[in-house]
Amino acid sequence: MSRKMILRVPKFQEPKRMEKSEAQRLWLLLKDAIVEVQHMNASTLSFEELYRSSYSLVIAKRGDILYTGLEEVNNHHTKNLLDKIAQAVDERFLIELNSQWQQYKLQQIMIHDILMYLDRMYVKEPQLKVFDLGMFKWKQNVLIHSQINDRLVRMLLGLIHMERNGEVIDGALMKSLIQMYVDVSLKEKETYKQEFEERFLLATSHFYKSESNLFITNNSCGAYLKKVEIRLIEEEARIKQYLDESTGPKLIKACEDELIANHMQTMIEMETGCRTMIQNDRFNELKLMYRLFQRVENGLVHLKNEFAGYVRNEGHKIVNQPENLKDPNALITSLIEIRNRFEKTLSQSFANNRDFINSVNTAFESFLNENDKLSESLALFIDKKLRGGFKDSNDQEIDVIMNKVILLFRFLSDKDVFKKFYEHYLAKRLLSGRSFSEDLERTMISKFKQECGNQFTSKMEGMFTDMRLSKDALDGFKNYLQTSVEMGKLPKIDMSVRVLTQGFWPTFPPHSCTLPPLLSQYCDLFTKYYCHAHTGRRIIWQTNIGTAEVTFRLPKKTHVLALSTYQMLIMLLFNDAEKLSLKQMAAGTSISFMDIQRSVKPLYSGKYKVLKRTPAVEKSKELSENDIFELNLNLKCKLHRIKFAATSQTDSEPERQHTRQRVDEDRKIEIDAAIVRIMKSRKALIHNDLIVECTKQLSSRFVPQTSMIKKRIENLIEREYLERFPDDRRRYRYLA
Amino acid sequence: NLFIKEKGIEFHDFQIILSETKELKKEKKIFNCHRAILASRSHYFKGLFRSKMQEYESGKVEFNDISPKIMEQILLFIYTGNIIISQENALELLIYSHKFLIPDEGLFYHL
Repeated sequence: MSRKMILRVPKFQEPKRMEKSEAQRLWLLLKDAIVEVQHMNASTLSFEELYRSSYSLVIAKRGDILYTGLEEVNNHHTKNLLDKIAQAVDERFLIELNSQWQQYKLQQIMIHDILMYLDRMYVKEPQLKVFDLGMFKWKQNVLIHSQINDRLVRMLLGLIHMERNGEVIDGALMKSLIQMYVDVSLKEKETYKQEFEERFLLATSHFYKSESNLFITNNSCGAYLKKVEIRLIEEEARIKQYLDESTGPKLIKACEDELIANHMQTMIEMETGCRTMIQNDRFNELKLMYRLFQRVENGLVHLKNEFAGYVRNEGHKIVNQPENLKDPNALITSLIEIRNRFEKTLSQSFANNRDFINSVNTAFESFLNENDKLSESLALFIDKKLRGGFKDSNDQEIDVIMNKVILLFRFLSDKDVFKKFYEHYLAKRLLSGRSFSEDLERTMISKFKQECGNQFTSKMEGMFTDMRLSKDALDGFKNYLQTSVEMGKLPKIDMSVRVLTQGFWPTFPPHSCTLPPLLSQYCDLFTKYYCHAHTGRRIIWQTNIGTAEVTFRLPKKTHVLALSTYQMLIMLLFNDAEKLSLKQMAAGTSISFMDIQRSVKPLYSGKYKVLKRTPAVEKSKELSENDIFELNLNLKCKLHRIKFAATSQTDSEPERQHTRQRVDEDRKIEIDAAIVRIMKSRKALIHNDLIVECTKQLSSRFVPQTSMIKKRIENLIEREYLERFPDDRRRYRYLA
Repeated sequence: NLFIKEKGIEFHDFQIILSETKELKKEKKIFNCHRAILASRSHYFKGLFRSKMQEYESGKVEFNDISPKIMEQILLFIYTGNIIISQENALELLIYSHKFLIPDEGLFYHL
């Protein structure tokens, strides 16, 4: 769009030189006008005339006359004002100073407008601009004059002090006077900072130091916190109302230092302080404390440590309470309870701060692993819930509880121990048909899967598959029986078999027993059927975990007894004998004496006694081989079907030991695998590095003991997977 | 060209009066204009209105050294940002736009 244009400028004419007298005339005209302005008589003057005069002087290069003249006039004027202001007494002083200042500022704007051309075309650094010159003269001759400055600051600080003590002061006047310090500062508000701000901040610190010391000794921590919050709000308002905004951060910092930082330790430790608030779930006060502590450096660290310490302490108490050690259900319930409680504190008071959450989690991790009971207790807790404890909860509640379980599970360092126990109880639930709902079982497992991956739950899922396949196999078996030739010769019994894949299920200690001929015939038939259908498989009968229903005919009544297989065998013996000693029972069934003891106990000591001890012995708990039992023909029971627990719900000590041993065996294999994996990739490694690496790899499943890793290394050396370097015994080499 | 056709201009609240130049002799030339617009484009007029002197009260200012053609171009520029610069008026435009302290980036753009 640019089009070329040749601009021919007429010959330049040098402006006529202005006579000195003419320059002087113009200056006097302007000077009179300035004096008029200073007496607030501006409306009679002609702007155009004044502007033209200063314009002409500048054009004629006479700006110097104008500038030095202006300096003198201002000087003179401000000196006059000083006397006038200094004479005012008491409150009049501030009012007089303020009104003179407001007028002076207006005048300076007007003078600047008239001399605008001078300002723009003549004034060069380091000369002050016209308006700044006016400000400078005011500062020099009025504000920082010894008669004014100190008096003014003292009065301003006095008023602020009064306001802090609850009196009402004139905010507009304060703003105007304080702003004056900013206005007369030439750069970076230096006059404001030097003359006012510094002293103001000092006075503030002083005020709050004495106030806070006094208040905190006479009031509760909660009250003090509220006071602090109010004070901080007041100071924020003060900044907006009459301080320069640049003072804001400094003022707040000074208040925070005096009101919060200096008293943090006290607020945590005092009787009504942080500890008590946490103990009594005073969420609002804690929230306030969090908000205030957040403002100062390291404030939250103090609060966090205090809170985490409390959590650890509480958890420690619960985990070591004797009653809880006996009752896994109570233990887990109270752990979930405190977890809920602390989560509430975290969300309501500590804004779910990540650091706080992490430190609470660390605390949980430390006390949950304090003793090795927890893995089992947790497994037992779920067991109880899944056996019917969820009966009265809706889906949402169940989900909440399950998530809490997962949460606690996450903190366990020995997840493999938990897994073993969980599998153990799951197997029992499935085999005894005691599981409340398969859906819930699967939900729980899927949650573990999410947490730990496929590997963790593959065996559990295998158990469910087995249960399903067993059902199919059993159906097939029944069809097979109907077509089978041998069937006609046998009396009919209802037998159900479950085929468990070895490896998925916990290994049950092998027990042998003699089955009645009819049953063993059926067993043989099933073995024949199954091995025919699935070639290459071998069936091992686990009679010790089976159940049976036996009809119990009394003279007047008939009952159905739900028994374990062993109990059934014992009861069947009574078909041929009236009285039997334990020894005889063992002989008749080939069951170990210990299992006999455990099986008989519920039969004679439970609520419904089908056996009685003869002669009746008073409460001697220990059974001996020679104790004699007979059927209790006087059994009184309204129920038709009577259930007998084969063993108590919690496992006996040997069984628990067994589980532990199995965990240890598994760990050995895991450690071996980890060592070999590491050495295979590294080829050669120093002892310590190998231990560290190994611990790291296994940490998601359990925390291996160093001594155990050492043993496994020795073992692997013996088995010639590794060897030591001949020249450096601490280094290992992988042997392919 | 809102202000040039003086008659049609609405809501004006200020007058610029030219007199005594060669072209005008005894006559006077009046431009009706708006304080807000003048003040927003010229520091001179901003100061003139802000200082509330005579001109503020009377609502007019009189110049005796500016020719109507130049004033017209300056007002055109103030109002519209457009200007017609020719060999004849260039120097005078420069002088007066300087006096009125009109921010000059716009002016040079047209050169």
